Amino acid sequence: MLYPFAAIIIFIASGFTFIQSQNWKIAENYSVKFDGGDPSGEFSGLKGNISFDEKDLVGSKFDVTIDIATINTGNGMKNTHAKSDKWLDAVKYPTIKFASSSIAKTASGYQAKGMLDMHGVQKEISFPFTFAGNVFAGGFEINRLDYNINTVEPEHGSTKFKVSVSVPVTK
Amino acid sequence: MFKKVFYHSLLAGLLASVAGIIYNRIYFFATEADFSKVLNTGGIIGLNIMVCMAAGLVYWGLIKSMNKKGEILFNFLFSIISFACVMIPISISLPLKIQFPELFPGLAVPMVFFPAIAWFTVRPLFN
Repeated sequence: MLYPFAAIIIFIASGFTFIQSQNWKIAENYSVKFDGGDPSGEFSGLKGNISFDEKDLVGSKFDVTIDIATINTGNGMKNTHAKSDKWLDAVKYPTIKFASSSIAKTASGYQAKGMLDMHGVQKEISFPFTFAGNVFAGGFEINRLDYNINTVEPEHGSTKFKVSVSVPVTK
Repeated sequence: MFKKVFYHSLLAGLLASVAGIIYNRIYFFATEADFSKVLNTGGIIGLNIMVCMAAGLVYWGLIKSMNKKGEILFNFLFSIISFACVMIPISISLPLKIQFPELFPGLAVPMVFFPAIAWFTVRPLFN
């Protein structure tokens, strides 16, 4: 009588082990870069949960945040401006969040769809990415005006930014 | 005349280099911000000697063409250009791997005045 019960417990527990094994930890040498000509730079405060399994894309999910205070354009004055209320407003909106809603296989890799929450504006985005050698790599383009970032000066600097992300992960 | 201006420029460049190297070390110990990838000892010496040599050429040209008034004009020009150069370290974008870029102007802004200060300091030696 005890053995079937134990078998069921072990079967259920193994299921949890399987789910756990799909979680990835973000390694330190990641890069989140943005390129708008002038300014260009990177963020260094990436945190979050990455749950990804090539065989279980339905159960896979990205839920990550970027700390605005970690922006680096290579210029102290630009960093200060970028964090000010005129631009990203790091005090009121300290993080950029992305939570995926679906991940699909494509011919060249994968396509993630989800909600990007930046500067108090939530907008659905979709971007391609690859996963090879335990490194996620992808990119997309955003328009700062879509997120109400310095809409008073639409001609000041770039409006469109190419974002490229490379995130090595470990189990 | 040209020889005297050459030695004047060289001595000013060396003096500005020494001041730059000392300030660089003091700044590093005070802030622990490492900017050696964009501004190291070799770069400080090279830049200061180059600026002072260029200044020497301008000085020689102005003295040749304007005599006494040339020196007055040169002194104004050197001071104004040095002051305008303050914008270079403030506006420059450093490589992204360099941390604390906001501390870079604190290192480089004073340095833009070193060639002019050194030039004016050693000027009486070459009357």
